Amino acid sequence: MTEGTSTSGPSRRRFLGVALGAAGVAAAGSTGFGVARATEPGVPAALGPVPFYGEHQAGIATPAQDRLAFAAFDITTTDAQAVQTVLGSWAAAASRMTAGEAIGPTETAPQAPPVDTGEAFDLGPAGLTVTVGFGPSFFDDRFGLAGKRPAALADLPALPGDALDPARSNGDLCVQACANDPQVAFHVIRNFARIGRGTVVMRWSQLGFGRTSSTSTAQQTPRNLMGFKDGTNNVKAEDAAELDQFVWVAGETDQPWMKGGSYLVTRRIRMLIESWDADYLADQETIFGRRKDTGAPLTGRSEFDLVDLSAKTPDGSLVIDADAHIRLAAPSSHGGQRILRRGYSYTDGTDPQTGQLDAGLFFIAFQKDPRVQFVPIQRMLGQRDLLNEYIKHVGTGLFAVPPGLGKAGDWYGKSLFT
Amino acid sequence: MSLRRTRRMSTLSFGVAAAVLAGCSSGTTASDERSSSSPAGDGHTAIVTITSDKCVADRASYDAGGITFKVSNKDATGITEFELLDGERILGEKENLPPGFAGSFSLNLNPGRYEMYCPGATTPRAPFTVTGTASSAPATDTKALLNQGTKNYGTYVEAQIGFLVTNVQPLVAAIKNGDLAAAKAAYAKARPYYERIEPVAESFQDLDPAIDARADDGLAPTKLTGFHRIEYGLWSVGGVAGLAPVADKLAADVGKLQKLATGLHYQPAELANGAVGLLDEVSKSKVTGEEERYSHIDLLDFQANVEGSEQAFANLQPGLAKIDSTLTGTISARFAALNLLLDKYRDKNQPSGFVLYTSLTRADVTTLAQSVQAVAEPLSRVASKVVNV
Repeated sequence: MTEGTSTSGPSRRRFLGVALGAAGVAAAGSTGFGVARATEPGVPAALGPVPFYGEHQAGIATPAQDRLAFAAFDITTTDAQAVQTVLGSWAAAASRMTAGEAIGPTETAPQAPPVDTGEAFDLGPAGLTVTVGFGPSFFDDRFGLAGKRPAALADLPALPGDALDPARSNGDLCVQACANDPQVAFHVIRNFARIGRGTVVMRWSQLGFGRTSSTSTAQQTPRNLMGFKDGTNNVKAEDAAELDQFVWVAGETDQPWMKGGSYLVTRRIRMLIESWDADYLADQETIFGRRKDTGAPLTGRSEFDLVDLSAKTPDGSLVIDADAHIRLAAPSSHGGQRILRRGYSYTDGTDPQTGQLDAGLFFIAFQKDPRVQFVPIQRMLGQRDLLNEYIKHVGTGLFAVPPGLGKAGDWYGKSLFT
Repeated sequence: MSLRRTRRMSTLSFGVAAAVLAGCSSGTTASDERSSSSPAGDGHTAIVTITSDKCVADRASYDAGGITFKVSNKDATGITEFELLDGERILGEKENLPPGFAGSFSLNLNPGRYEMYCPGATTPRAPFTVTGTASSAPATDTKALLNQGTKNYGTYVEAQIGFLVTNVQPLVAAIKNGDLAAAKAAYAKARPYYERIEPVAESFQDLDPAIDARADDGLAPTKLTGFHRIEYGLWSVGGVAGLAPVADKLAADVGKLQKLATGLHYQPAELANGAVGLLDEVSKSKVTGEEERYSHIDLLDFQANVEGSEQAFANLQPGLAKIDSTLTGTISARFAALNLLLDKYRDKNQPSGFVLYTSLTRADVTTLAQSVQAVAEPLSRVASKVVNV
């Protein structure tokens, strides 16, 4: 595991070993491309409602929808009552939007602006989920909540390879809206911003146009913008034991209000698309450790075949490179730790400086404790991942996602304030 | 947004129970659902519970005089406000009441039949009965307060237009004298008087473009008339050449505006819509630096728009506070915060009194824009509350 761990990063082209590594699995059959989206037979309820009230917030272990609208907000007041009113109004609005309803009466006084902005009328629930979280800065001295900050919500340390833009990072509050209709997801962010006007301001936002993870065994693994299936071995909704072990906060927390919640890490990972597109196929496959066409690991024939990290070629070198993405992201490289990934591809047009595509992965991960899950995993990836030559982490976020709401009258973080 | 273009309003006067009211205490708290108090209850305290079906009071009738409404939302996710109506007139109300929250307000009510209104409920209206003896000392009527406010606002508009007419004269003179520096100073001096009352000018279709059109309104700068043609000459070309006829026409146009606006009567909802319209102006063209693109004195216009908006609101405030004192408190506080923020950009070394737009950072602009929106959102709810008074 020491070979290739150069601190200066991987070379532009890895001539040595690549050809052999790829040749070792060259016999694997090609089944061609073609990933269904949003119309998969396993997601019959894609346009129906996802239950809003429950033990956990929806949008974590519920099947990943096809579209994302995410926003981070900063609170501009020190009035804790105003903050609670916004969180209460958000909860009420979310309960209605996830049911496909307008957030308030649609027939109102002609001289008053409409309560709901209206662009989601007639679009139905579209599988909408709304997930709200609190950033570390929410627990500073403004609202008397310093004593309620969970230890697991420790600020993320600087990580190797960070090129973070503060304007695209962090925030007091976050809202993740996922739906199978982009307008339904956007409607949430717009109305939340409006409800919060004067109390919160949007710090940054991100639209995602295609899910890059599957969170249900009924879903196929989608491809990322590099054309690869990544995250095949994600934590799945059907595996309650894994969710309890890796995702849901339980008795181990120092903050009982977080029981049933989870911790959300976001990373805006820009892909250097033009460079990637100029890389040759065998190198691309070495970098990921998977076949591009089938998604099979280089040690197997189909996507879900065993990833044999110790397999060697006849000449004794590793089939899956010592710094391949699949190896460094594997639970076995991290003492068995896993995270639930729920990311989305994004593009925000072109980079005004270079004219290159500003596109990549808006990485979202949920976990029980980022200190022992995301942080060590990313530290290793940031140091060694062959993929680092083609990506940049340009935004970051860490949020404590409280448990689900029990019923109308409950709201995000209610138990924090009472 | 222009005053003239707002919905035509008919003043509804209901002969029902000459209700007199006085906003007393008002507050909101997060609370667990409160159950109704004992059947007997208190004749001067109405415990109101909002559910998705309807709003329910704890008694069949209440005693004339001061009545405090303690309103809590049990589980109605689509309802966030409660109003007490006399006909279509809103006597008092509480907003921002999502499920799990409670709030209160107080009214002084004479005997009569009123209605509780929870917009969005299955049965949105429910009767509210007050019995007993009428209050002997009627408080000032909300309608009278609002009418006085509209009169005061008319006086304010006329004063501003008067100053505008006066202050355009030195601009004309400086241009005719070929004094570039004096012309620039006079330009900055005259601008705010127009920006404060712009929605009134916009009611007269041709006058606003004649006085205030910009190059982005589809015209080359040299084809413009009014302020921005002069701005272009003074700052971009750097001289007064060709500006004398433009200045004469500007003086004539503001004179026309003065004649048209003198003696105008305004409706309360027009003030409310005009106040929002001025903040829309700020968001659309001042915050972006488009309005004064040659002189960069946008913050002067910005402040003038805000001042005009706040004046319109302030004239509604005494009457509106009787209906919803929480809302007037919120709007006042946010205007105050906005003014405090603007003060940070004052610079007495600049002829406009403010730093130039070009010296603002992106973060400055963002914060300014957000602070304007923070006022505009609650302000946008005012018109519907004063329209039927």
